[in-house]
Amino acid sequence: MSDNYEPNIVAFLCNWCSYAGADLAGTSRMQYPANIQIIRVMCSGRVNPLFVMNALQQGADGVLISGCHIGDCHYMEGNFYARRRLGMLKELMEFIGVDSRRFHMSWVSASEGHKWKEVVEKTVEDAREAGPYEGFRRRRIDW
Amino acid sequence: MEMDQLRKTAAEIVSRDDVKYLIGWKQGTFGYRIAPSFVEDASGAAELLFSPLCTANLATYLRLVETLPVPRGQEADTRKVALMVKGCDSRAVAQLVVEKGISRDQVVVIGCPCPGVVDVALLARKYPETEIPAELKWNGSGFTLVRSGEEIKLAREEVLAEKCRLCRYPNPVISDIMLGEQVIPWEPSADSGVAEVEKKDYAGRWAYWEDQFSKCVRCYSCRNVCPLCYCQDCILDRLNPTWVNRAVNFSENTAFHIARAFHLVGRCIECGECERVCPANIPLGRLNRKLAREVRDKYGFEPGADPEAEPFQASYKPDDPEDFIL
Amino acid sequence: MTEKPKVGVYVCHCGINISATVDVDAVAEFAKKLPNVNVARTYSYMCSDPGQSLIKNDIKELGLNRVVVASCSPRMHEPTFRKAIKEAGINPYFLEMANVREQCSWVHEEKEEATAKAKKLVAASVAKVRVLEPLEAKEVDAEPAALVIGAGIAGIQAALDIADAGFKVYLVEKTPSVGGRMAQLDKTFPTLDCSACILTPKMVDSANHPNIELLSYAEVEEIGGFIGNFDVKVRKKARYVDFEKCTGCGDCASACRVANRFPSEFDQGMGKRSAIYLPFPQAVPAKYTIDPDSCLFLTRGKCGKSPKCEEVCLANAINFEQEDEIVEFRVGAVIVATGFDAFDASRKPEFGYVDYPNVITGMEMERLVSSSGPTGGKVTINNGEEEIIPKEIAFIKCVGSRDKSIGNEYCSRVCCMYTAKQAHLLRDKIPDANIRVYYIDVRAFGKGFEEFYDRVRRENIRYIRGNPSEIFKRGNKLVVKVEDTLTSTPLEDEVDMVVLAVGLEPRADMRKMMDLLRLSQSPDRFFLEAHPKLRPVDTATDGVFLAGCCQGPKDIPDTVAQAKGAASSAMIPLARGKVIIGAQVANVDESTCRGCGFCVSICPYTAIELVAVNRMGHQVEVARVNEALCKGCGSCSPACLSDSIQPKSFRDRQILPQIAALGVMR
Repeated sequence: MSDNYEPNIVAFLCNWCSYAGADLAGTSRMQYPANIQIIRVMCSGRVNPLFVMNALQQGADGVLISGCHIGDCHYMEGNFYARRRLGMLKELMEFIGVDSRRFHMSWVSASEGHKWKEVVEKTVEDAREAGPYEGFRRRRIDW
Repeated sequence: MEMDQLRKTAAEIVSRDDVKYLIGWKQGTFGYRIAPSFVEDASGAAELLFSPLCTANLATYLRLVETLPVPRGQEADTRKVALMVKGCDSRAVAQLVVEKGISRDQVVVIGCPCPGVVDVALLARKYPETEIPAELKWNGSGFTLVRSGEEIKLAREEVLAEKCRLCRYPNPVISDIMLGEQVIPWEPSADSGVAEVEKKDYAGRWAYWEDQFSKCVRCYSCRNVCPLCYCQDCILDRLNPTWVNRAVNFSENTAFHIARAFHLVGRCIECGECERVCPANIPLGRLNRKLAREVRDKYGFEPGADPEAEPFQASYKPDDPEDFIL
Repeated sequence: MTEKPKVGVYVCHCGINISATVDVDAVAEFAKKLPNVNVARTYSYMCSDPGQSLIKNDIKELGLNRVVVASCSPRMHEPTFRKAIKEAGINPYFLEMANVREQCSWVHEEKEEATAKAKKLVAASVAKVRVLEPLEAKEVDAEPAALVIGAGIAGIQAALDIADAGFKVYLVEKTPSVGGRMAQLDKTFPTLDCSACILTPKMVDSANHPNIELLSYAEVEEIGGFIGNFDVKVRKKARYVDFEKCTGCGDCASACRVANRFPSEFDQGMGKRSAIYLPFPQAVPAKYTIDPDSCLFLTRGKCGKSPKCEEVCLANAINFEQEDEIVEFRVGAVIVATGFDAFDASRKPEFGYVDYPNVITGMEMERLVSSSGPTGGKVTINNGEEEIIPKEIAFIKCVGSRDKSIGNEYCSRVCCMYTAKQAHLLRDKIPDANIRVYYIDVRAFGKGFEEFYDRVRRENIRYIRGNPSEIFKRGNKLVVKVEDTLTSTPLEDEVDMVVLAVGLEPRADMRKMMDLLRLSQSPDRFFLEAHPKLRPVDTATDGVFLAGCCQGPKDIPDTVAQAKGAASSAMIPLARGKVIIGAQVANVDESTCRGCGFCVSICPYTAIELVAVNRMGHQVEVARVNEALCKGCGSCSPACLSDSIQPKSFRDRQILPQIAALGVMR
């Protein structure tokens, strides 16, 4: 593990709460680590848990999924499904030995720019501690 | 269960106008082998049997049979299929009903209460197979092996399949006809296989599964035998998008096994067929059983226990666990 | 067969908002090497006219068919660029935005890191745009009617504007009368107009307007559907008085066996009403209502030999058999004007509101000084021993506002001025009173406010800077303990009456409205608008608008202005008669669908159903999406084991390349 290792985090954010919250963090000029790249989806319910698997396979060191708080989903119920699906994925990944520090999920509302910053810091810090992910990374990436 | 009763009942069922055929077990052609039998008439029914060697989950065939195009001018055959099920197999039928893989009125379920089947590979290691088919019977406390004319008594624990040691459903959960007496359920033993992995740390678990997944030859037997893996076009075969590359290497194998296990979350009924057929002896049962246990303990859901249930993957509870959420 | 992608990448400087932290030229150079990218350019403001022209010219001259704009959040300018590329002749959904401002340049300081990240984001966008599909937005008819929830001044004004424009309005009010909080006020600051005099005509109009259907004493139970076609279910609560027959004479209220026994909600509990009542004399509609919680007959099943109200009503309007009635209708837009709750002063126990009858709130003061109030406008107060005319009066401002300890960090915006107004009114009524105002700041920001504040101060009303710590009783006086922070003098001020200038809070029952309309709260807990600057009356739910104090504290002119804004926004779909429904809806590959129905159970909009189809001579069921109902959330998709249902523009095969692009450059 090299000292200058910087984790690569892929994040999936719902359009209405967390993506807006991340935008708010930007508008408020909060500073947070640049290790995180966001993929926008309409709802956390859209996040196929296998995206997490795919991200780890394709070179991510950590994955974050963020949606609206329970009860605040723009689509009413999407985050309930996300919570169940990703909770089970987490069980699976931990059982096969993927460090739980590589996978986080959060609820961040459109007004929680500050919470977004904290979530990113926690996610990056955890992935940094867990070290570069080799696991089942694909060797040759063809895209 | 008396074989006469089974064969008589089967003959009656296949003679019905609304039944296409009956799927049951019959003697194989070698050693301990049992073959699936698609019975359409009385002569076929006479070959059926039910013994501790009947490990296969025949529910798979409900969806595995090829659906041929119906020639123009003909009607599709919509008659029912009769199916012999053990307790575990019946859960597959119930789960198929839940997810509309088959409609309940399209299947005649013949329940076979099951005192536990054997691990055939284990049996063959201890008592090598002979060319002439052998017979295995329940004898109350254990099994009696009839091989080349000699009778050998086996202790139950000696050759019992792992899934049967853990079994909580020896009696079919759904059936139209029940053959023989209900079995008194036994106390399932602790899942030592899952516990063995659980007690390791992340690195240890990873090392364990790395060993296992590295062995995988990606024959897809585990998927094909599974009664609940029946998409006509499996996403793991697909090229656009490519979830899993076709290369057989550790990375793709791992992705394959994660995806396979995940697709069975809240659906796996723990019949153990995937592990039984694996030519590389990957303990897939541990993966499935671990997830099934979490679904049961944390979400209070048991797949295949109730054909009227809401599918686990298509429902939620307001108080589902969320202690992992930041 | 779709043509080969030819991608143009446009990196915006956004003045220096992006270029100060991201090396935009390096990003463009990098983008040129990405697969299928034909051109990559930078420009100072991509969203400006010349910026858009740059893109349009490239589309025409280089034959681009896909565009990536690396600039601000897609939540900001996605519609702008969609429109631009559409004008240049390519499908508006062949656009992908890389958010290199809000989620990159503004949140990272280190230029090298920010540039590297911007490159990745652009690479991910290029990876996705290459595999996007052309989509077409569809239109559906919009119902030319609006629902306005809440009939205070905001709701009344919005309803009147929409009705005047010729559209049908359903105005739903929870209480028996329209008018809301404004009806309770005596005078309005800073002009001192009589509140009732300017409001009452509007109240009457709202009930009589041919285009307005007023549903008073009613609550919205359900709202389904979406912009253009909301299906609304309203419960009209039983009044136990026949609405058509009641003449509003009031004989019943005087005859009531429990006449004038119950605290009047309108008079803030300072006056009394009967079990059958009109909330206030100018109430609209002027129809009596029986309060089911206080009526003897309704609570005990017995009222003397027979209910008095029934005996005296010459119109035979009393009907104890009446039941709640459900009204259903369809509207194209919804305006939420549910107002506020006054801060509950008992949550600041140090001010003794619960303990001392001569500590009152600003709302109570409004009723006390009102000539239609419980004392007929005569200001007297019980000091715990006797009813007196107060001579020593203290106002305390910012009660329940600007106070982190009770969770209200915001300024309620009206208390400074209503305090000034009430001090002025008291000065008129009790010329020899000593009046002082304890304040933290005086915020006289509105039109005519500073002038009014100045006038009040010159009326011998003392403003003392200090936030009282405690109020206690000494003899027949109240003692206000406070430090004058301008002179650093601790004071124990003996007074006859204290008026707490309570602030405005979100309504306690707002959760119900949030659930009905999928609204969110801002950090102050009021309803969240779609954009704090540019879309202050819109919400995240299309076709739902906010008016008045439900969105945040406001005075009357601001409330009316916002109501008019909400009305004109709500009228856009009504006037067009059509609404565009999202193109990014779910889509089923019927050839692979297993018909398991997981998506059907999941869809919160019941947009998916199973239909029987013929597959090679066999009857099978497959899922089918009703595109008019689908909102494109995509929750169905991860549950689909065969990946057969996929949201357009967010398909697995469009997201996996993004993931790959982000991973590749670790």
